[in-house]
Amino acid sequence: MSKKTGAALLSILFSFVFLLASMFYASGSGSSGISLMEILPTLMKGSGTTEYSILLDIRIPRILLGLAIGGSLSLAGVILQGMFRNPLVEPYTLGISGGAALGAALCIVTGLNRIFPDFAMPLSGFIGAFFVALPISLINIRRGIVKTEGLLLTGVMISYISSSIVTLILAVSRTEDIQSIIFWIMGSLEEPSWLLILTALSLSFICLALSYVFSLDLNALLLGEDEARHLGINVERAKKVLFLVASLLTGVSVSITGIIGFVGLVVPHFVRMFAGHDHRVLLLVSYLTGAGFLIFCDTLARTVISPVELPVGVITGILGGSLFVYVLSKKYHAR
Amino acid sequence: MIYLFLMSLIVSIHILPDAAYAEGHTPKGAPQRIISLSPAITEGLFLLGAEERIVGVTTYCHKPPQAVKKEKVGSVMETNIEKVVSLKPDLVIGTGLTNQKDVKKLKTLGINIVIFSITKDFTQLCESFSGLGRLLNKEDLARTMIDESKKRLLQTQRKVSALPRKKVFIQLGAKPLFAASRDYFINDFIEYAGGINIFKDARSGLVSREEVVRRNPEIVIIATMGDTGENTGEKEMKMWQRYKTINAVKNKNIFLVDSDKICSPTPVSFADSLEDIAKIFHPEAFK
Repeated sequence: MSKKTGAALLSILFSFVFLLASMFYASGSGSSGISLMEILPTLMKGSGTTEYSILLDIRIPRILLGLAIGGSLSLAGVILQGMFRNPLVEPYTLGISGGAALGAALCIVTGLNRIFPDFAMPLSGFIGAFFVALPISLINIRRGIVKTEGLLLTGVMISYISSSIVTLILAVSRTEDIQSIIFWIMGSLEEPSWLLILTALSLSFICLALSYVFSLDLNALLLGEDEARHLGINVERAKKVLFLVASLLTGVSVSITGIIGFVGLVVPHFVRMFAGHDHRVLLLVSYLTGAGFLIFCDTLARTVISPVELPVGVITGILGGSLFVYVLSKKYHAR
Repeated sequence: MIYLFLMSLIVSIHILPDAAYAEGHTPKGAPQRIISLSPAITEGLFLLGAEERIVGVTTYCHKPPQAVKKEKVGSVMETNIEKVVSLKPDLVIGTGLTNQKDVKKLKTLGINIVIFSITKDFTQLCESFSGLGRLLNKEDLARTMIDESKKRLLQTQRKVSALPRKKVFIQLGAKPLFAASRDYFINDFIEYAGGINIFKDARSGLVSREEVVRRNPEIVIIATMGDTGENTGEKEMKMWQRYKTINAVKNKNIFLVDSDKICSPTPVSFADSLEDIAKIFHPEAFK
């Protein structure tokens, strides 16, 4: 085994252990105080008890959704950052989340969410995301060439436009609606529907596998588009597929959990620091680390000022942001 | 900022039972372990003598003072499902402000949850209160209290009805400036107390200062909502002094009221606050 393979395996192992640790930590923390030591006895006693229901019906679905969404968002982040070769790109800079937020806000004020309570919100969030992502890519794909810079700029602008329209909707809507919209924008891993949780989970796995097919293309793209083309990579096709995968991951995530910022931006950078730049390793490690990070943040969000739950975005922002600044400053200081 | 704005709205919200839920989902026999997800409901439960049966409230439930001692299950908008489940309630009462996802989750967990929607006037407030009474098997007590409050309300109305009506602006929020439009029960206060709400026609409570100045109220009442030691009320009072053309400023008719007081969630406190407001409008009638 070469030194490089060893390091890759080590980082995969490390991120996997991190994910498992945060899953355990999450299942053992909560306001009703079932600790890690009590989990096994509780499960052994079987269904019927309150503790069993809390573990299986409340904590576990949240952990699984955290796995799916954290994984999806950081995977989308890695793909986009690789493709754009721009460190500031994340799923949200492309306007996808803005579109989703707009879709959800419209769904609430039109009352659609009351007519179809189970699927209206995720669906309109998703449609919103695609109505935004689609024109972005159409505007910027001319004669089969995806213009990276244009894509980014248009995305940022669309993001601004959508958030302004959402604010406009907030200003004129009824009290009850304002509340629902704000909730949705703040982002939360509470999701009663198992179907949606499993959809998110399987989609994130499929996209992880799909992006693997393009991991070598992503590696080549790091050198620059022309260089990648010289290496025999079908750059345009790779970019189109990857953009679609990233949009799908973000659209579905945002539509189910609302806007959870920072995971897609910070985790990939973090991961690159210890896992290197090879996308064959990076994709998987980012997925695992992102999932672990979101589950961990969500656990903090539900417990720091329990019984009140904080929006998980508060924790991802504060924790992720400060940790990242700290690590970055150390890294540059060492040079 | 949007949170402050929301907070100010929340305090002013009342409840009305959603007929569909309140009817069908009520268990037989009076519930013994109740969780309230709204300050208004908590206060109503106390009024109806169900204090002992409350096992959980929100962090916003301050009235009556004993409510603070109860176990907390979250804020008005965010419910900690885990906490609710661990308290083993046989009835959870939520409002239109309770997170839809939380409601759905509690239902799938087999917890009996009743949702009261938001009330917009005194009539709905009474319906809501009797709905609460019905849930507790104390409808008669609720009815008596409602009748009593209605009587007091009529008394107040009678005192001011012959007096000239004044143009009134009740300010519910400062940043952004928020007025009580007809969608808020505050509008009822103004009308019953013998005033004219200058923003009765407003579709949303978001109004401009310019419009307030143009509509020239004779009385300005500032409710110090969600005020956490920032003296918003005093600042707003000073702010209005700058607009010398407003009659309320000329005649020094700007008043501060405690929002906790006027945002009365029960028919009983509605009658109390109405009297306070009527006194502001027509001090001569109460001498």
